[in-house]
Amino acid sequence: MNRKDNVSLEERTFFKRLDLNFAFVIAALNLIGLINLYSATHGVHSSGNSRLFWMQMVWLSAGWLLYLLVTLVDYRVFVRLAYLFYALNLGALVGVMVAGKSFYGAQRWLDLGFFRYQPSETMKLVMVLVLAKILANKSTQEGLSFRDLAIPGVLTLVPFALTVKQPDLGTALLIAAIAFAMVMFVRVKKSILIIGLVGFLITAPLVWNFGLKSYQKNRILNFVYPGRDPRGTGYNSIQSKIAVGSGKVLGKGFRKGTQSQLEFLPERHTDFIYSVLSEEHGFIGSVTTYGLFLVLYIMGIRIASQARDRFGALIVVGVLSYLFFHMFVNIGMVIGILPIVGVPLPLLSYGGSSLLATMAGLGLVSSVSYRKYLF
Amino acid sequence: MSGGDYLNNPEQEAKEYNQRYKYLYIIVGLASLLILGRLWHLQIIQGQELRQYSERNRVKEVKIPAPRGLMLDRNGEVLVDNLTGFEATISPQYAKKLEETAKAVAKALDLETEKIIKDVKRSKRQNGPFRAVKIKDNLSMDEVFRLKILMWDHPSLRVRETIVRHYPLEVIGAQLFGYVSEISKSQIEKFNNRFSGKFQFEQGDIIGKQGLEQEWESEIRGFDGLDFVEVDARGRQALTDTPTFLGFESFPETPGKNLVLTIDKDLQLAASEAMNQQDKIGPRIGGLVAVKDNGEILAWVNSPSFDPNIFATGSSSKKWRELINDPFKPLRNKIIQDHYPPGSIFKPIVGLAALEENVITPTTAIQSPSQLKFGRRIYHNHSRVNYGAINVKQALEVSSNVFFYKMGISLGINNIAKYARALGIGEKTEVKMRDERSGLMPTEEWKQKTFGERWQPGENLSNAIGQGFILTTPLQMALAFNAIGQEGKLYKPLIVRRVINNRNEVIKEFEPELKRDLSRNEELALEFQSENSDSKTVTISKNNFKTIKEGLRRVANGDRGTARWWKIPGVEIAGKTGTAQVRSFSADQIYNKCTERDVDQRHHGWFVGYAPAEKPVITVAVLAEHACAGSSGGAPVVRDVIRAYIEKYHPEWIKQPKPRKKKIVKAASPAPATETPAEESGDSSDELKTQNEESSEI
Repeated sequence: MNRKDNVSLEERTFFKRLDLNFAFVIAALNLIGLINLYSATHGVHSSGNSRLFWMQMVWLSAGWLLYLLVTLVDYRVFVRLAYLFYALNLGALVGVMVAGKSFYGAQRWLDLGFFRYQPSETMKLVMVLVLAKILANKSTQEGLSFRDLAIPGVLTLVPFALTVKQPDLGTALLIAAIAFAMVMFVRVKKSILIIGLVGFLITAPLVWNFGLKSYQKNRILNFVYPGRDPRGTGYNSIQSKIAVGSGKVLGKGFRKGTQSQLEFLPERHTDFIYSVLSEEHGFIGSVTTYGLFLVLYIMGIRIASQARDRFGALIVVGVLSYLFFHMFVNIGMVIGILPIVGVPLPLLSYGGSSLLATMAGLGLVSSVSYRKYLF
Repeated sequence: MSGGDYLNNPEQEAKEYNQRYKYLYIIVGLASLLILGRLWHLQIIQGQELRQYSERNRVKEVKIPAPRGLMLDRNGEVLVDNLTGFEATISPQYAKKLEETAKAVAKALDLETEKIIKDVKRSKRQNGPFRAVKIKDNLSMDEVFRLKILMWDHPSLRVRETIVRHYPLEVIGAQLFGYVSEISKSQIEKFNNRFSGKFQFEQGDIIGKQGLEQEWESEIRGFDGLDFVEVDARGRQALTDTPTFLGFESFPETPGKNLVLTIDKDLQLAASEAMNQQDKIGPRIGGLVAVKDNGEILAWVNSPSFDPNIFATGSSSKKWRELINDPFKPLRNKIIQDHYPPGSIFKPIVGLAALEENVITPTTAIQSPSQLKFGRRIYHNHSRVNYGAINVKQALEVSSNVFFYKMGISLGINNIAKYARALGIGEKTEVKMRDERSGLMPTEEWKQKTFGERWQPGENLSNAIGQGFILTTPLQMALAFNAIGQEGKLYKPLIVRRVINNRNEVIKEFEPELKRDLSRNEELALEFQSENSDSKTVTISKNNFKTIKEGLRRVANGDRGTARWWKIPGVEIAGKTGTAQVRSFSADQIYNKCTERDVDQRHHGWFVGYAPAEKPVITVAVLAEHACAGSSGGAPVVRDVIRAYIEKYHPEWIKQPKPRKKKIVKAASPAPATETPAEESGDSSDELKTQNEESSEI
């Protein structure tokens, strides 16, 4: 009797502490993702590929386990171990260079037998932890100085350079963007802002001329002039726009998209998943899904503001920027306001690395939320 | 707030950030406005329009291949053109029952079902669903009809008109025109890096692979057109407009530009016929090149040859292997890509050097006995004939070795090289074709540098009769002899005269180009020579040219000329026979008659000739591999080609015109059968014997 009471008390405490609303929003997005992935892989017009759908179910279960696990562990443990994670992940990135699997001309994966692990994907989260650890102790009212930025700068630059080398410019830029967002949140001195801006304006043309590969330039040029190469890289962008627009208000219906189903879009289950959704479920569907993301951000920002220490607040800000940048770049690409970059849409795109990393990140947010009452 | 006490009061620390969350809301809000606004624009405002395109209409890409430019001869006659053919394609976009379609097509065209499926799937992955996949080209009319019936049940199947390169001359001049075939994967990458922009190659494109086809690719090749047509769900054309608002832009094809060559089609035919004449020697193996007085190439024939049409229609790898493994190398352009020792055709150049360096005058008579002892070796005239005292004209007429040995001794190799190089021996002719050999004209310094050995005096002898180190190409010799005939004007070879478009407008024009003018008038010469004796510009007096030309005239017209059996009534031919050693022989073999040896051990025969002897209009060089000697191997061929040219352009020159017209009928040369063989075999084996004796005594 007594023992049973204890258990129920403990359970109640756990669920009370757990941010259930946050978890529901995530689950809702997961559900949309699964339904949509099913459509993308089991279209009426295309030959099915059910393996992908079942794999995603496996990843999703693993993702939720990870989410709960991370929630239960005090996030300060992760902060303490941040440098270890960083070292391990950097090792994996170097490993990719040496023994990585090459797909579409880029080495991004390590083959672990059951799973192709993409170290640059987890590196984004590890960066959040490392930067939270450093920046939490550096914060002052007047902003970060050059000296304060030296170590975070170097720690960002190394994985950035390794990822560029793969080559995976999209992921590298996301790593940089997350670091940038966290630093800006902590604030930097005005003088550094100005110097940074000037430096960017000077290096940008140099990078364009010497740093970018021709396919990368083509993507950007095709974005600016979509008719430039309607058969090549511009093709995806045009087809994606047709798919999204043809959904109109209500969409063509589940599994009835013609653009995406007829394989006008080559990577419809990964990078172009949002265009499948928009085509089949129309403005209603795409806005609803976007709305769920918005709710997730608003809840996240609230959790950050209620965090019990700076580590927690910074971790949440980092994870949120991770989610936000991915979503913005991916959807922006699908609807033709950004150039084509191979970035997955969190929680919706097919892919184990992305899903597990996202769920782990959301677990961190949940963990911060879980401990806001514990003092 | 100061930084010191944060760690003691984490709650306070975190509150420091509270003012900043509003920025996060602002950023997320702005991004949302942008995304939602764009969704509104695409799905609500443009929705209806985009829905139409996605549902009712699909865009189909149609490539309109540009025909390659023609090659025309100097009179506008077609040398290379295009034929239309048919090919079968499958559009992956509409291949919903690919297996069934593949099976039906495989049956109709006698192909493998699996291969068709594999090809279609691969192309779909690589090129997207719009690109139609070629299943078979060069369809017969029978196959076209069979497919037309299938097309009703298989909307992805199409029969497309194609353009196939056609070479009406077939094997004649194949190495000059080259051939076309599908671009290889490595070439796609290479070319696309080199040419950016509109000029992009892709798999399945046809490209020039040899000769003029390759060299003039960028002119001959047009730009393929591209059309986007809207089609309904079954792949049929639905609307005539092109959906431009999406950024699709169709453009028409631009046909390739045409090349007007300096080649004369009739002469090309005559040259091929002459090379394949049915005399005692039979079809010649080697090359023939005919040059007009200003360096324009009139005929260019290699033998044996290949039919470039087999590549244009997709060659079988078996045929390709046969060509590669053929010991007589039919793919090779022997006129520029192989070099040979010139043998006796080098003698006129040595004669010029001797006259210029004042070793002899035109009338100096030199004792030319049957043999000459130099050092410890003995050098022979051919057939060990004692010619007595002869001048340079007579020496050329009878092709005396001893006379030119003596010239070699007096001149030394460097003086010979000075004039030979001025006439273009050992340097590229700058013909605009790939893989031209430069040949070799040795000097004392060259030998020191290459072998680290001193030049031996005995080598002056062998090189003076065109053996030893000297190497040259048929084209070099033709141009050098033309320069002698023109009394000093050495031209660059010209093959492409004009590039014109389809409306016959001239895009580019190429004029004959003088490489250098060696001629010098006698009066000027004296002061010129005294003032700049070591000047680099080599000149040769016109009188000396005239002396050598007289010697060459006697070769074909003199009583003892080595090519006196081949004449054209009314037009005097001048030229020189030559025999080039293939390999050295052991002592017992050397006395065998050339014609009794195995074919690959017989010597090469040269003849370079021009006509008329006084003021030539055409020069023809023939190299006949393993033909034993130049007089019977080369001279009749050259004579036939020259006659064909003169019959066409200067028929009034020919006396007692024969009933035949224009083209040369296969006619056995009126060669006296008893006289020639003795002369030839003597000529060649004597030259070889000197070689052999040299090597055996060293």
